[in-house]
Parts: sequence; structure tokens; C-alpha cells
Amino acid sequence: MSKASYLRRYWQLYALLALPIAYFVIFRYGPMYGVQIAFKDFNLFQGIGGSAWIGFDAFREVFGMREFYTTLRNTFMLNFLDLIVSFPAPIILAIMLYEIRSVWFKKISQTLLYIPHFISWVIIGGIVYQLFGNQSGMVNEVLVGLGLDPVPFLTEKNPWLITYLFTGVWQSAGWGTILYLAALTGVNRELFEAAEVDGATRLKKIRYITLPSIKPTIITLLILNLGKMVSIGFDRPYVIGNTTVREYSDVLSTFVYRIGLESGQYTQATVIGLFQAVVGLVFILGSNYISKKTTGDGII
Amino acid sequence: MTVNTNQGFWKKATGITLTAVMGVSLLAGCSSDSKENAANGGKATEGSSAKRVTLKVEVFDRGNSPAPQTITNNFLSKLVQKNFGDPNNIDVQYVPIQRSEEVTKLNVLMASDSDVPDIVFTYDSSVFYRYAGQGGLTDVGKLLDEYGPNLKKFIGDETLAFGQLDGKQFSIPGKRAITGRYSSYIRQDWLDKLSLPVPKTTDELYTTLKAFKEKDPGKLGSKNIPMGMALAPAQFETLIYSFIKPISGDLTYSQRYELPLHEGFKDAMQFMNKLYNEGLISKDFGLDKDKTQLAKDIQNGNTGYWSEDVDAQFYKDGTMDNLYKNVPGSKVTPVDVYTNAKVDNKYIKSRYASNGMYIMIPKSSKRAVEAIKYLDWMSTGNNLIDIYNGVEGENYDMVDGIPVVKENVSQEFADRLFNGGDMAIISNGKNLGDQATNEKAWVMGFPKNNQEMLKQSIAIANTDTVGPIVFGKPIEGEAQYGTTLTDKLDVIIVKTTMAKPDQFEAVYEQEMKDFMSLGGTKLKEELEQAVKELPAK
Repeated sequence: MSKASYLRRYWQLYALLALPIAYFVIFRYGPMYGVQIAFKDFNLFQGIGGSAWIGFDAFREVFGMREFYTTLRNTFMLNFLDLIVSFPAPIILAIMLYEIRSVWFKKISQTLLYIPHFISWVIIGGIVYQLFGNQSGMVNEVLVGLGLDPVPFLTEKNPWLITYLFTGVWQSAGWGTILYLAALTGVNRELFEAAEVDGATRLKKIRYITLPSIKPTIITLLILNLGKMVSIGFDRPYVIGNTTVREYSDVLSTFVYRIGLESGQYTQATVIGLFQAVVGLVFILGSNYISKKTTGDGII
Repeated sequence: MTVNTNQGFWKKATGITLTAVMGVSLLAGCSSDSKENAANGGKATEGSSAKRVTLKVEVFDRGNSPAPQTITNNFLSKLVQKNFGDPNNIDVQYVPIQRSEEVTKLNVLMASDSDVPDIVFTYDSSVFYRYAGQGGLTDVGKLLDEYGPNLKKFIGDETLAFGQLDGKQFSIPGKRAITGRYSSYIRQDWLDKLSLPVPKTTDELYTTLKAFKEKDPGKLGSKNIPMGMALAPAQFETLIYSFIKPISGDLTYSQRYELPLHEGFKDAMQFMNKLYNEGLISKDFGLDKDKTQLAKDIQNGNTGYWSEDVDAQFYKDGTMDNLYKNVPGSKVTPVDVYTNAKVDNKYIKSRYASNGMYIMIPKSSKRAVEAIKYLDWMSTGNNLIDIYNGVEGENYDMVDGIPVVKENVSQEFADRLFNGGDMAIISNGKNLGDQATNEKAWVMGFPKNNQEMLKQSIAIANTDTVGPIVFGKPIEGEAQYGTTLTDKLDVIIVKTTMAKPDQFEAVYEQEMKDFMSLGGTKLKEELEQAVKELPAK
């Protein structure tokens, strides 16, 4: 079929595609016009076009800030820990859900697991403070009641990290199972039956059938996650973090918020944003390359 | 044939979609460049004979509008339209800005000069200096002479000086009615139970707190908090001011993050450290930046001693009312206990400068004249009193020149005034005359049962106050390092307070080194230079 007749035949589908393309053009490519702020002494009142070019001065200034390195380190640290703790969680959960035989129980558990995903971080933050505060937190009140010492869940480095990580797992693990469960529905049931005939145990079936069949999904998500290593959501560190653990909870996104939106240093904030984008690109290409070399699967 | 039409449609659709997309993205990119004021243009052209114009005024939105009123359409906005707008052929339109995101939202508005209101304001001097320095504000000096004589008189030259930069009047500072800020409070019933006197010095306070802790007069067990603390100015500033030596006489650096540059700051942190490690202050104070936990603990009767903004607890159904309701027999006494050994054991505490918020007219505004007229109108006649107090005879009565708020008015009348303080931008607090009159008027606005205690609190807040030095020019370091250092101050307080006593020295040294390297050193040099250059009094 020629290209023109292809278009003619499936024009409805192409029309549907127009919306996502418009989205990317407007919200992803359009704003790139603003990247030049990083190379300009941005004046709010003269606009982007009217501000003077300053070359790489702002980059030099940002790379000279000590806070920049602290927040960069924290971003990597929190993302890396998240990758270790939060990345496997939905996989394990998905396999467990897949193994459940009782349909109604499976449905109820799935719904319950999804719920936290729909709670905003601000509210989760409130719940965390109510539960884990030193003096008034419910968990510590129970601990003290049992004659134990209170645990400073929110005010000391290591306990705080654990609180941070597990709040993340609680919030996102259930929702994260969706993609894996979708991949698992495509698995041919006959494989399991054949394995059963061969006398495979449940664990063996998981190991040799379930896991291999979701491997491409796992790799795709892993690459995407690696690409995000240098970018971090704003809500979670901002809401769960507090002054007492500022040295560990201050990340690039909260830093950008502070210097860009709060103190109006747009140039510096754009520099950091651009830096994040470039490093993110390097990470995603790098992990894709490694993945292709080692497993043969990649996303690009 | 059908095939062809389809193809034609498809081509056209693609064309239209792409054009629209590109157009929109171009607009999105360039919006900050466009110099057209769409909103004003639209209004001005309608009806050629009556040139009615729109004046857009920023207003804080605290999310507390009682239905059916809204923040943009309420009793006071109608009052303004009726008494100011209609006679002058002006539509006054309010642009709500969420209180807690004031500066961030304002930055965005200022960047898009088509949406920016004609009157904007901020409390943050560095924001004002930044806008003025970047050339985004209208110089209102001449306009004030021409259209705002009443306003000029109302605010006064001394306060107007706060809004100048290089001799140009880039903002109109609101006038502050009352400069006292903080008072402290103690549970009298706890003292009585332990037969202790009201403490009068910092040392006596320490002994009292110890007794509160050991003898637990409230029978609270692990909930007992001898001294309430939060990571908020009203709590830590009161304590720190009683340890530092002010820079010159009763004046000192104005910004909170400049406290570590004072002699004696370390002693304050050492005292906090001692209180914390002996279990005398709230363990979670570092998490409590908005004072919710503090207020909760006070209301539930768990707290023995605390400091607060002078008026904060006396509103109807506020902290004080709740405490009395929750804990029968509780009694609170306002006290002044923090003595400053470096200033003859006076009760040194901070006070506000005579200015309130910085009211600014963006350079892009085409309604600067109307804006000044609006502010001038507000300062004339009974307008300010009405905005603060509602309708005479319905909401308040004039007694000896002071508006006295009526008790037990209907809900409808009471709801009129939810945004009074935010509408009266030229006046921070009820300005009627001298400070004593203002205070009297202020007290009269509170529920009767709390008025006496508020009076005592104000008296305490006005004792031995130290105010900010006015340099008359921006301090560069403040604009540059302000946000970072504000944040760092919180970290210093939390870290040094929560350190183990034997690690205090090391932690303090480390944190201060950080503070100085984050801009503290440069700020200090600049401030010291500026102090030297101040004209001798």
C-alpha cells in the first residue's frame, strides 16, 4: 500500500494521534524556548528576548555553590535507595497478586493497594507526622507505653531515610503492579500446566515462567527509572523532609523551588533544570546501551 | 469522490492543527514579551463617551470567605465599588493571590505583564528591591503629590522613606499601627499548685520550668511540656533577643537571618540546647514550623510556659478560649521573663518598623493614576474605619472616636469583615491616631473576656523593644543570600538545640562555619560597612 492510501485508510487513527502530538509540542517542545534563560541575565520585566546574554556565567556560579553539590548528592542518594527498595516492591507484589487464586480476594487487595496512589503527598505528609512524631506520634506513644525508647523517625538521618523510603513504597507499590499484571495476562496458561505436569513447584514456576515473561517490562521500567536518577519529584522530599534532616532531604527540585520561585533567581534555576535534563539523557542512553549489550533488550 | 473529500479534509485538518499548535506554542513562549494590555484595552473601548476603566487590585486569599461571599465579590468589594468605583467611573476588580504562596505567585504575575494587577504588594523588602532594581515599578513620587495628598499625609514622610530607592518613590509602604510583636505566657494554675512565684528573670524561669518538669502539676506524664517551642519566630526570636547585644542602642539588623551575626547568639543556642536536653521544651519543635502542634499542646493544657505573637491567641474561639474550655480551672498570666544580661538585664525584644507592606504599581500598568486615587480614597474620611469595622450602628459604635465592635451581631453582619485586614492595604492594623489610640481600638475589636489579657500582652510587647536599623538602600547580600540564610538559620537552631550537650561546641562551630560560607561573611561585611556610613544622630 502506498503511503497516501495508508493515511487515507487510517485517517481516524492519525487524527487521534494529533492530540498527543499537540501535547508534546505545546508542553514539551514549546517551553524549550525558555532554556535560553540559562544563558541570560534574566530580567522579569524585559522578558526573555530583552535580557542580556551572559554566556556560561550562571553555570559557573551554580557549580560554585556548595548547596548544589549537597542537593545533587541527596538526589542521587534518595533515588538510588529508592531504586533498591521501591523498584522491586511492585514486582514482588504483582507476582503475589498473580498467584492468588481467589478472585474476590485478589480484587479487594488490588483496590486497597491502589488507594494510596490517589492520596496527595500533602495529606500523606500529615499522616506521617501524626504517626511518627517524637512526642505526639502514635507509633512512639505505643513504644513508650511498652516501656521502650521512642524512635526519632523524622528527626535523625537513618530513621528518617527508612521513613522516607517506606512511605514511598506504601504510596506507589500497588499502582506500580498494574504494568506487570498487564504483562502477566499475556502469559500462556498452558506453560504453567505443562510445568505442573513436569512436577514444577510453585516457586519453580515463578522462577522459570512468571519472571522471564515480565523481564522486558522490568528492563523497560528499569531503564526509565535510571533515566530519572538525576530528577526527583518535588512533593515527596518537600513534604516528608523537615529542617532537622535538611542535610539529607534537600534535593535538586526543592533547591530549584527555593532559588527560582521563592527568591526569583530564574537564571540559576534554569541552569539546574538544564543540567538535570542533560545528565538524565546521558543516564538513559547509557543504561539503554548497557542493557542492549547484556540482555539484548532495550527501549530505543 | 468520497476518498478525495476525505483526503482534502485530512490535509486541511493537519494544516489547521499544526497552525494552531504552532501558534499556541509561540504565544506560550512569547507571552512575557508582549507589551499589550489586553484586559485594559477591552474595557476602555466599550462606550466611547463614558470612558470607564478597570482597576485591578491584588488581594490576599486565605481561603476563608464565608458563603455566599467570595474573595472577589463580597461586602467590602461592593462597598469599594459603590463609594469609590462608581463615582470615579472605575471598575475595581480584585485579583486573589493565595496568602501562603504570595511571593511565588507574584513573581509569575509580574513576569506576564498582561495579567499583572495595577496594585500589588509584599511584606518582603528584598522582593520590593529586586523589582525596583530591575526597573519593573512605577515611580509614584509625582503621582502622589498630584493625586494622593491625603494618602501622603496619612502615611507620613518617615514611613514613606521605606519605599524609596535612590531617591525615587518606587513603592508606598503601608503604615503600621502597632509595633509591639511578642508576649510570653505562663500557666498561673500550675504555679499556684506548686506555690511558686511568677518568674521575673531568665534564671527564675529555668527554675520554674524544672519544677514544672519534675513535679508535673498538670498530671500529664509523658505529655507534659514545661515550655512550648516551635520553629517559628514568635517562639525562638523572643528567646534569642534576650541573649544578643543589639548593634546600636535600641536598633539592630532587621532580618531574622542576621541574628547569628550578633554577639551573644551562641549563648542563646546554648540555653536552647540545655532546655532541650533536660526535656524542658517540646521534643518535636523542629517539625513545627507553622505552630499547629504548639497551639494544639497549649489548648489541651499540656504546656506550662510559651511565647506568642501578641494578639494570636485572643480571637473568638482561639487558643485561649479553647484552653479554658478544655481544661476547667486553667488560668494564664502574661509574663515578661527573658532578661538580657548584655543590656542591663532589660527585657529586650524585637519590634516592627513603622511600615507595613510595600504597595507597588508595576511599570506596565496603565492605571497608575487610578491606583493612587484608590489608595487616596481609602485614607480619607471614615473609609478605613468602615473597611476594618463594617457598618456603623450595625457592626460597631463610635465611642470617644474609637470604633467599638458590637457583640452578638448576626452571622450575616459578622461575615462582612472576614477580609477587612487584607483590604485595608495602606494600614497594617487599625490606624486612628497615635499608638495608644491605635492599641485601644485594636483591643476593642477582640471578645470582651480576652481584652484585659490582651492589654497586658501589648504592654509587655512594648517593653524594652529593639527595632530595625533603616539603611535607606538595599543591602545586596540580603537579596542574594536571604532565602538561603533564612533556611540555614532554622537548621542552626534545630541542630545546635538537639545536639548532645558534649557535642554542642563542635556542632555550633560547624554550623556557623557553614552559615558564614553560605554568604554570612559577605553579608556581615556589607552590614558593618552600611552601619559605618549611617549618618550620625
